[in-house]
Amino acid sequence: MEVDEEVDVKGKVCPMPLIALNKQVGKMEKNRLLRIIGDDPLFEEAVLDFCKEKQHEVLENKRDGRKVSIVLRT
Amino acid sequence: MNKKGTIMLISGEYDRVITAFLIATGFSALGVEMKMWFNIWGHNCLKKRRGLFSRRRRPDPAREGTYRNLSTDSFLQSVVEIFNRGGADHLPLSHLNLMGIGPVIFRKLLRRKNVPGLEELIKNADELGVKFIICQMCIDALGVSLDELIVPNVEVKGVSAYMKDTMEAQVNLFI
Repeated sequence: MEVDEEVDVKGKVCPMPLIALNKQVGKMEKNRLLRIIGDDPLFEEAVLDFCKEKQHEVLENKRDGRKVSIVLRT
Repeated sequence: MNKKGTIMLISGEYDRVITAFLIATGFSALGVEMKMWFNIWGHNCLKKRRGLFSRRRRPDPAREGTYRNLSTDSFLQSVVEIFNRGGADHLPLSHLNLMGIGPVIFRKLLRRKNVPGLEELIKNADELGVKFIICQMCIDALGVSLDELIVPNVEVKGVSAYMKDTMEAQVNLFI
């Protein structure tokens, strides 16, 4: 899927992915696509909670071993 | 609306932990839904006491690899395990520890007045329906294994779940 921006937080543990995601979403305009990739065990749950709280739509959620890649619309 | 409360325990000292469990069991018996979170040294009270020279076997990646990244472990995880034997009835006091005599006197004082001991309080909390949740940092960085805890169903969650729990609850304590 083509995305406008990509953030890679592999190797960082909670809460760093949430902080990086917040910063990136703050810099982007509305209705853009953002992909975020991480590999910590609680990454998927944290990003899905973030999207639910701030009302972003989740378009794709892929898992490949420990790596999880999520695409969301700002 | 349901009454809810959370307690976040980061201390590993006997007097603080026993206060936390007194509050948790008391509130739970009165109908408040309690969730207890354990972070840095909070998990000491839940560990089974080990002998001095017994160490665990190498952690098995199939069972313990979900929340713990075994490839970034170093010898320090074993050092923490050797020095931090834990056990609910062997915790130090935060004040007047007196090189180890303090807790013995304190426990004798409370036992004589029929105050319940800590392990008994923890089992009671589990029976009353208090939920136990450990932070993932404890499992990964401090090398705790879920098999060596005295309570059976402990969950592993992160900060986003803690945020949801505290925003729904009316009472949030940090001990």
